[in-house]
Order: sequence, then C-alpha cells, then structure tokens
Amino acid sequence: MKKIRVTIIAIISLTCFILIPCLYHSLAQEATANTPGALFYQANIYYQEGKYDAAINNYEQIINRGLESGNLYYNLGNSYFKKGELGLAVLSYDRAKVFIPNDSDLSSNYEYALESLNLEHHLSASRFNKLVHKLFQHLTIDNLAILLSFIYIVLVIFFMLHLFSPGFKRLWLGFIYASTILFVISAYALNSKINYIDKTAVVLTKEAEVKFGPLENATTYFKLTEGDKVEVVEKAEGWYKARRFDNKIGWVRADFIRLIK
Amino acid sequence: MLKFEKTNRFFKILIINISFLLIGLGFTSPCFSKDISFELILDKNKMSLGDSLQLGLSFNSTQEMPAPDIPIIEGFQCRYLGPSTMMSIVNGKVSGSITHNYLLLPTKTGSFKIGPFKFEHNGDKYTSNQLSVEVLEGQVPSTPAQPAAQDEPEIKDLNDRLFVTMQTKKDKAYLNETVMLSIKLYVNRLGIRDIQYPEFNHEGFSVAAFDKPNQYQEVRNGLNFDVIEFNTPIFGLRPGEFKLGPAQIKCNLIVRKQQLRRKPPFPSSGAFDSDIFDDFFGRYETYPLDLKSEESTFTVLPLPEDNKPENFSGALGSFNLEVSASPLEVKLGDPITLKIVVSGEGNFNTVVVPKLKSDKGFKVYEAQIKQEANEKRFEQIIMPMSAEVKEIPELTFDFFDIGTGEYKTVSRGPFPLVIIKPEKEEESKVVENKQLATTALVKEERLGRDIIYIKDNLGPLRKKNSYLYKNTMFLLLQPIPLLLYLITLVIYTRKQRLKTDLRYARGLLAPRKARSGIRQAKKYLDKADTLRFYDILFITMQEYLGDRFHLSSKGITISVIDEHLRKEGVAEDILAKLRDIFRECDMVRYASSQLTRQNMQESLVKLEQVIDYLQRRKA
Repeated sequence: MKKIRVTIIAIISLTCFILIPCLYHSLAQEATANTPGALFYQANIYYQEGKYDAAINNYEQIINRGLESGNLYYNLGNSYFKKGELGLAVLSYDRAKVFIPNDSDLSSNYEYALESLNLEHHLSASRFNKLVHKLFQHLTIDNLAILLSFIYIVLVIFFMLHLFSPGFKRLWLGFIYASTILFVISAYALNSKINYIDKTAVVLTKEAEVKFGPLENATTYFKLTEGDKVEVVEKAEGWYKARRFDNKIGWVRADFIRLIK
Repeated sequence: MLKFEKTNRFFKILIINISFLLIGLGFTSPCFSKDISFELILDKNKMSLGDSLQLGLSFNSTQEMPAPDIPIIEGFQCRYLGPSTMMSIVNGKVSGSITHNYLLLPTKTGSFKIGPFKFEHNGDKYTSNQLSVEVLEGQVPSTPAQPAAQDEPEIKDLNDRLFVTMQTKKDKAYLNETVMLSIKLYVNRLGIRDIQYPEFNHEGFSVAAFDKPNQYQEVRNGLNFDVIEFNTPIFGLRPGEFKLGPAQIKCNLIVRKQQLRRKPPFPSSGAFDSDIFDDFFGRYETYPLDLKSEESTFTVLPLPEDNKPENFSGALGSFNLEVSASPLEVKLGDPITLKIVVSGEGNFNTVVVPKLKSDKGFKVYEAQIKQEANEKRFEQIIMPMSAEVKEIPELTFDFFDIGTGEYKTVSRGPFPLVIIKPEKEEESKVVENKQLATTALVKEERLGRDIIYIKDNLGPLRKKNSYLYKNTMFLLLQPIPLLLYLITLVIYTRKQRLKTDLRYARGLLAPRKARSGIRQAKKYLDKADTLRFYDILFITMQEYLGDRFHLSSKGITISVIDEHLRKEGVAEDILAKLRDIFRECDMVRYASSQLTRQNMQESLVKLEQVIDYLQRRKA
C-alpha cells in the first residue's frame, strides 16, 4: 500500500516537474509575442516578405494599444506606400514627422509619396509663418516645450539678477528683450505645430468632393485628391468643414479624410 | 550615408589643414634651433672674494627666448638680473640676440668651471660653452683701459653725433600710391647697442613692417657717420595733408666708467665695435636713449574723377596683364583654369583680380591669389554652364598710371572655347563642395526610384498624445520659477523698504527688540537683581515706545509718552500701567528703593501687557 502511494506521488511530482516549466514557457512565449517589440519585429518580417497587409495589421495593433513612435509610423507609411494606399502613407509619414522631423529617410519617402501623387507642398501662410516654420521645423513639440521652459527660466533668472545685481542692469534689458522675442516666437511656433497636428487632415480616397453643405445632395464646390491636406475648421455629424490651402472652405465626408492627430 | 561621408571628408580636411598649420608654424618659428647659438659670457675671469661677477646667457639670432633655469654653480650664489636684447650688425648682416643676465657672488676661493649649460625650448636643445673663473683673496688688478681715438674733432653736443632723420622720396603722392619711407640713425664715434626698430606716427597711412636695416657709412658736415637705415613702403589711405613722424628709435648709449670725469663720455672706437661688447660688463655703462627725428608733412592727392573707368578698383602703378586659359575644349560643367598675372610697379595691395567682361553662361569661383615683389598671380576657376558658350570673354584690368597721371585699361582675350556636348544617356550635374572650395563633376545615376527601407527598431515608444506640454508634472513645475521670483521680489521690496523707510524699519524691529529685552529682564528677575532688572525694563520700554511711534528713544519720558499716546487714543488702563512702570523704574534707579520680587513680576507683566496691546492695536 505504501509502495503504491509512493509511486503515485512520484508520478505526480514528475508530471509537475515536466509540465509546469513547459506551461510557463508557452505562456511566456505568448506574452513575449504580444509585446510591441515583438509585434514590430514580426511586422518587419512580413514587410520583407511582401506581406504588407499583415505588416500593417501588426503596426496598427501597436497603435491601437495607445502607443506610438516615429519609426512605427514611418514603417507603417512604407507599408501603405507599398500597398498602393498613398493617402494613408502620406498620413503616416505626417504622423512620423511629429516625432522624427529630422529623419532624412522620412523626408525622402514623404517627398517621394507626394511626387507619386503629383502633389506639392502647399504652405498657405504669411511670410512670418513661413519663417517660423523654417526656423523650428526640425524641433518636435516636446523640444519646443523644453525650449520655452528654458527661456522662461532664463528670463526669471535675469529678472532676479536685475533685482540684486546692479552690474546686470546695463545688460539685462538687452537679454530680456532678446529672450522675450525668442520666447514669443517659440510659443507661436509651438502653437502652430499643435494646431497643425490637431486640425490638419489628409485625404485618403482617390477623390473627395467638397460640398457647400454637409449633405450628400449638396453642390460640389471643389475636389480634393488623395494625399491633399486640409484644415478642419468645424465638425458635424459625419462631415468635416475643411479649408484648402487656397482658403476655399467646404464640407467633406468624414470618412474621406483623417486627422493627423 | 552621404552625411557621414561629408563629415568624414570635413574631418580629413580639418586634420590636413591643422597639420600644415603646425608644420608651417614649426618652420617659421623664430627659435628654429639650427640658427640659434647659445653662449656664456663673463665680465671677468678673475675676481676677489666679496666681489660680484656678471654672467650672460646669450642667444644669437633670436630675441624671443625665455630665461633658462640654470643649475647650481659650485662656489657661487646666483641671482637673475633680467634680459637685454641687442641688434648687432656684422659685415652688413643684421641679427638680433637676447642675453639673460645673472649676478654671481663667490662663496669661496678657488678655480671654478661655469657651464656647459643645457637648455631645452620648444623641443630644441641648446648647449653652451664652458668658462673658468678664479676667485682670489684680496684685490684683483684691473685690465688696462682701451685707448681712445684722437683723430676726430671734439664735439660737445651729443645730438650732433647721434641723431635720427626721417624722409620720403617725395612729399606728395596719390591715394594708395606707394612711397618709400626711410628712417636713418646717424652715429659718430659712439657706442650704441640694443637698437630697436623705429616707431613713428603714421595716421592716414598704411605702413608695412620694416625690412632688415642697411648699414653703411656717410660723410655729413665733415663728419664720418655710421648709418643704419630702415626702409618701409607707405601709402596714403585718404586724401589730405598729414603729419608723418616724428620717428623714434630707442637704443642704449655705451659710456666708459673711468673716463666720465676727465673726458667726454664717448668711447673712441667705432659705433658697433665688438670690443665694446667683449669688455662691456667691467668698464662700461649703458644709458637708455630715446632719439626722435623731425616730423614732416605729406600730401595725399585724390585720384582724378575724369575718365575714371567703371570697373576701376583703386589699382595704382604701371602694370602689365598676362592671361592664359586651359583647357579650351571642355564638357559642360568642366572647370577651366584662368592664370592671370599682373606685373609691373606700383601698389600691389590695390590690385584685384581682373574681371571677365561678361560672366554670362559661366560660373565664376573665387580666385586664389599669390603676391610677389613685382607681380600678383591669380588662379581662377570658371565653369561653362551653357552649351551656347563659344568663348571665354575678354578680361580687363583698370589702373591709374602714376607716371602719366591717367587711367589705363589693359585687356586680354577673348579665348575661343569648344564645349563638348554630353552623351544622351548621361546627365551631368555640378556639385559644389564649399569646404574644399573646389568643384567636381558627378554623374547622377537615375536607374529608378523607390522609398527608403523600413526602420529595424521601434524607437522611443510612448503613449499616444502624451506630449510634454500636456504632462501634469511638467505643467506643475512651470509656476515654480515664477513663485521663486515673487518670493525674491517680496524679500527685495522688504529689504529696500527697510533701507529707505526708517519708521517702517523701527516699527518692524520694535517687538523683536522688546522680546529680547523681556527675556533679559526675566533673567535678572530670577537672580533677584532689582537694579539691573529695572534698568533693562526701562530701556526695553523706552526703545519699544521710541521704535513703535518713531520717536527718539532717549527722549522718552512719562510726560512725552503720555501726551503722545493720548493723541493716539490709547486706553486709559494701558496708560496707567505705563505710568506705573515708569514710576517703579525711577524709584529703583534713582531713589534706590528695594522693590520685592512680587513688584518686579508685576512690572514685567505690565510691560508685556502694554506691548501686547500696542502690537494688537497696530495690527
């Protein structure tokens, strides 16, 4: 009797000894396979194999988890480009630019995507806006926030020094003027960037009719083509009121365009 | 990749440039060891104990050598005296030298060796000669004085035997016209050393560095002078009449010690006779002199406006132009080198590169310039940018001929040019490399175009829409500097008010001082020291009331404060308490009354109540 009991215990122990590590390993593998890194890696393999839909699916899975990065949007843009969905490619590149504005690969692909769509950059802006854009185009939103914060701290330090150090009185005005101007311009640039991301949308369909009103039977005012960018000024049920670079405003179906945000 | 290559190329160029710069510096260094000799000089080789000896460490062919650290010399104590520089002229060859002088004091008698010293500077090693010195007991007989020459007439005024002149070949010149300025140092039978290069006022003129001076002899007013002539070209920078000079030369006059009282203080040998230096330390002394010439007036004439060529750039003189171009058969975008030589006489600083009559169809690069004594060479790269170009246009050079007083234009060219048409498949593009300042032709291959490949890493991943400007912590940190500033501002304002508003300052300090006084009074209460207790109590009360109502503390009496507090509307019971305290204080301090501990306690409480009331009233 005792022998039987010992044998049963030994079998159970052996089973546990073999099964538990296997179970743990398979669970861990599953967990690892679902990490953003693993999904990204797998998506890249799909891309290499020319399975662009699968690659897009994996990249989108990471984004749907509420995560994003410049390289992720860049790869997604490439996948859409290869798939032939150039509007979505432009949108993804625009999103990537938010994170990696200095990336030369990104700039090159973005230009190429626009060229493929026979589109040009339209910056419907004043000279000042263009200058600000040129000055700060290589900075991300976070970079600009840090810059602003830094200028603000410098200004405060100068104000403090002005109170206590008479030697600074001659210089401080110059510094304060310069810092204030830089602060204002940086703040303007930051605001412009945020507005651009929040309000700019990319046309995803081959052609999108922009109408005088948010109705299917409304008269078409003008047409947009895939990859065009518009500024969304108002939202209605299933419609966006959009402004084109030449300041023409009309209503476009919400599913035709997508915000960069 | 392109960026990396550019960076790599940039660093290569940088390293090459720095290497050349260092090599150039090494070769042009005035301390280039091959030409510099290191020599020890002693003013005597026999001396008595108690006497001193001067040792000179002389470096020839340089005047920029730091004082060497000399090792301990056996039998002597050593002290550094300082450097002396010297310009010597031997057989017409001018060279500079520096001597670092040391004073040696013998510590014992005997025969001693000095040197050889080894010295290293800028990586070059120098080794000196060796000298012997004998230190004796008692007096050492002096060497006989050098005999003076007697063949020259005696001149009492030193200025007639030693003076400086300054002259230009003419007193009028056109703007930018080069004129040679000559400054001469005349010396008649005097010993001169440490002659420095002249300095002179030259406002309105551009002046080059002096060449090596010439030395010769000249008879002037029947006297034979040794002359050192310094020459430099100058040219006027703006029209007008300007003062030149006075020229100033600093030098040291050598006089013999022994002959000072009996004879004029001039040694009889030649001005730069080496005997003087050989026997310098013992019997001669030096006197620093600052010799000045007369000043002169010079007129700078403006260039005439009539017939002035459009492209005239200020060149003055008489010039010739030579131009050659190669190759004359090129592909579109290939570089062509123009070799341009402007030769002749005149101010080459004003000569600029001759211009193409028209640069249409060409890209013209900045010319490389090489200036020599009588010519200026330019090497200019031009590049045909259009297949329509058939020739290199004429090159013209305008200058003002000083001899004839007219503007002249010389031109060369045009040069026929053949442009070889590119093959159909090739597209050529000119690529500029600004760092190299050269051009290269790159054939752009356009086999196809595609997007650049995907990234292999995810990069910094973050939550969607989690920008820094939306981050709570970041936003919370933002008011901190402002708060700090506001706190600083409050402190500053308070500090300023304390400095300027005495009433405020006194009022603010009154309770603090009163608290301190009360603490002190309590100590005396515990010790039952009545007299001191009431002293402190009185002072505390006086100071508090003085500070609180901005009155003179010393002048506060019961009548003063009573009247003042009544006006202020202070309650009668408080006034009564104050009166009690004053009375009790007076009793103890002036009538020597012995109040009990109980009385003391009550007085203290009363004072605290009064202060408390007045503080509350203020609030």
